[in-house]
Amino acid sequence: MSTLPPNACRLRVRYVKDGRLAYLGHLEVMQTVMRSVRRSGVPFEVGNGFARRMRIQFSQALPVGASSRGEYYDLLLSDPLDEQEALEALRLASPKALAPNAAMLLPRRVPALEAWADFSRWKVCVRGLSMDAEEFAARVQELREQDVLRFMRGEKERSISLAQTLVSCEASDVANGIDLVLQTRHSSQGSLRPAVLVNAVCGVAPLRVCRMGQWHLADDGYLIDPMTRGE
Amino acid sequence: MRLAREDRFGDIEPLLGLVEKPSRYLDHEWGVCEDQDGPFHTCLIYADVYEVGQPNLGLAILYDELNAQQGFSCERAYLPWVDMADLMREHGVPMLSLETSSPVASFDIVGFTLAHELVCTNVLEALDLAGIALRSDERDEDDPLVIAGGPSAWNCEPLAPALDAVLLGDGEGALVEMARCVRDARDEGLSRGQILLRLAQLDGVYVPSLYDVVVDKTSTRWGYAVPKEGTGAPAMVRKHCIPDLASTDPAVQRIVPYMSVVQDRFAVEVLRGCARGCRFCQAGMTYRPVRERPFEQVVPAVREGLRTSGFDECALTSLSTTDHSQCARMVRTLNEELASAGVRVSIPSQRLDSFGVEMATAVGSSRKAGLTFAPEAGSQRLRDVINKNVTERDLEFAVTNAFKSGYRRMKLYFMMGLPTETDEDLLGIPRLAEDVLRMGREILGPRAKVSVSISVAVFVPKCHTPFQWAGQLPLEEVHRRQQLMLHAATDRALRVSYHGSWPSLVEGVLSKMGRAGFDLILAAWRLGCRFDAWSDQFDFDAWNQAAAEVGLNLEDVACETFDLEARLPWDHTSPGVSKGYLQREWRRAMSAEVTPDCTFTSCTGCGVCPSLGVSNVLAGERA
Repeated sequence: MSTLPPNACRLRVRYVKDGRLAYLGHLEVMQTVMRSVRRSGVPFEVGNGFARRMRIQFSQALPVGASSRGEYYDLLLSDPLDEQEALEALRLASPKALAPNAAMLLPRRVPALEAWADFSRWKVCVRGLSMDAEEFAARVQELREQDVLRFMRGEKERSISLAQTLVSCEASDVANGIDLVLQTRHSSQGSLRPAVLVNAVCGVAPLRVCRMGQWHLADDGYLIDPMTRGE
Repeated sequence: MRLAREDRFGDIEPLLGLVEKPSRYLDHEWGVCEDQDGPFHTCLIYADVYEVGQPNLGLAILYDELNAQQGFSCERAYLPWVDMADLMREHGVPMLSLETSSPVASFDIVGFTLAHELVCTNVLEALDLAGIALRSDERDEDDPLVIAGGPSAWNCEPLAPALDAVLLGDGEGALVEMARCVRDARDEGLSRGQILLRLAQLDGVYVPSLYDVVVDKTSTRWGYAVPKEGTGAPAMVRKHCIPDLASTDPAVQRIVPYMSVVQDRFAVEVLRGCARGCRFCQAGMTYRPVRERPFEQVVPAVREGLRTSGFDECALTSLSTTDHSQCARMVRTLNEELASAGVRVSIPSQRLDSFGVEMATAVGSSRKAGLTFAPEAGSQRLRDVINKNVTERDLEFAVTNAFKSGYRRMKLYFMMGLPTETDEDLLGIPRLAEDVLRMGREILGPRAKVSVSISVAVFVPKCHTPFQWAGQLPLEEVHRRQQLMLHAATDRALRVSYHGSWPSLVEGVLSKMGRAGFDLILAAWRLGCRFDAWSDQFDFDAWNQAAAEVGLNLEDVACETFDLEARLPWDHTSPGVSKGYLQREWRRAMSAEVTPDCTFTSCTGCGVCPSLGVSNVLAGERA
């Protein structure tokens, strides 16, 4: 484990991914956030490795095209800073569609954010479908019973266990399609992308995906908000 | 037809989920100019994908200048990649600007950066996708004026029928003048033809339609251009030249991209022009005189640029940064100041002859991944022919210092097919590379992982250089020489790579032809050629077919040598370097005589200073 400088502390930041910036890939978001941090003037730690990178950790990657109300990063600060002051500086230095909306100082050592925030809730709007919510839900149930979902990513075939990654799926009819609320859990196998499930149920359909939030699923089954103090 | 100015992002948004890298089309980057009210609207197009065009410093300079003018706005556009372009055509969506997602065909002026010859089909692709007539004489009165500039504008004749006007030389000040001229003329109700007559009177502006092409016994088969009677167009269009780089804003790169781009860093141009006099180098001839930006301007500009952009790398760019009289001081100062924040300082090119111990240490303190040198030729005789004033002692000195500074990897650039080249010269390339390997192993130990890559490009003769009369190497001979060199490079730590011979041949064709080249470009584009600089898109068969359609053979065109006294297709344009100087340099090349750099010695008589009323501007003493 790398050593932390005596003054170092960790700042957890929640931000949105919105509007046309939903089409940014995860690496593009990471790069943009790191540049925003540099612009903000917030004092950050730099690693001592070959490349001397900013010491920052991100929550789970969001698919290209998906927006989010709750993405997170943990930034190692080189000097303590008031969290509201840091939030304001970061907000002013960030594109509006990736704006931070909450910040909190954390204990110096916390579990890696990407693995810790393992539970996501999604809202998915699927349009132009020939099936209703009931049929959709029934089809999802069939897939869950089969457990392993095979799908193509690019030219490669991939598979994922729905038993391990899909917690729940609620479908409701709306005027020209259906709305879904999905709850997914990241596993050692990877994470289920909402579009993969929708495509498996009804083929490629126009859809909008928004991650409503991320949590840590504790051993006792409770969901822990990443901005809860003491975690 | 001029399209309505309206935000049409909604038209491409449904396509974003269907294309590779949708971030190419998003806009809203940090630092973008959001105020685009005009009312006079210009759009600058880099006719390649976003990640290639966005870092272009020339475009950033002009974007900044135009947007700073009251009443003018300037937006950017990049050519959509093939997947998006096909979808846009399928859905009836025209090419759009980035900032306001307005149709490119709704602008008053549309300006192209001609970065290299292979961009020609992309210019036609962009015009077609925008819905703008490909030929200037087919455009309506109210259509945008299509202009161009950039490093490859020096022989713009093959594209001339598509261009209303071309800006030669430095864009600072000149593009704003062009925009003002067009705006005022439109306000006065002048016709498109009258506007072009006015533009032709501006410094550095060439209006192709005001010139006839004459082919006679004094010319090559591509002829030469003479002004049409009564137009008042100058017989010779000299470039627009800013006398002092320090009079321009050093920190123009304000836009921070979301996606990774080819040069993903904050760049400050520290120097313009190079007087080394390499005889193959077009930039070395066309960007003269040498103008250095002083330390006092560069260092604060880098600090401020990094602070406002958030980049974690800065580059001190120019044709030859290590020639800057204050280079070592700038690099050392910035390295010391920025290393603790994880910011790297980079220099795009190291010249063998000026890369001393001090610079190796200064640059090496931030990153020791690898170093690139460009000896260009494998023998001293051929290096003298091309006026690359580098000796094997220089190379040995530079490489030794680089290895001692901790570098393990060297990349060496060479060209093949240079005038007078023999097999012996060519075999000198792997020999030189193996010498570098040996030096590395001697310094770092026999078990050290030392590697040397050599990259060999095919020489393409360029206009306004002393080698403009030379023919290109035929394909068969290129392939033979490639094999010869490949078989001579036996050490496993030596990697040899070649630039494609076929794209180089097309580049040579487009560098050599006159206005008749437009029919070839048009035929190639109609056969599906676009993104010719991308090896996975380049279609040599289509280019051959296009050549056959217009009665040409690509090899015949590219490999043709020109008579030293012949009138050339680009003789009516001048970067200030006189034709007499170029002829003299050709003769000196043939006898392997070198010509010194006038920034280190005295004037060598290229003609730039007297003809343009400028002189070299150095910030200090060059060593």
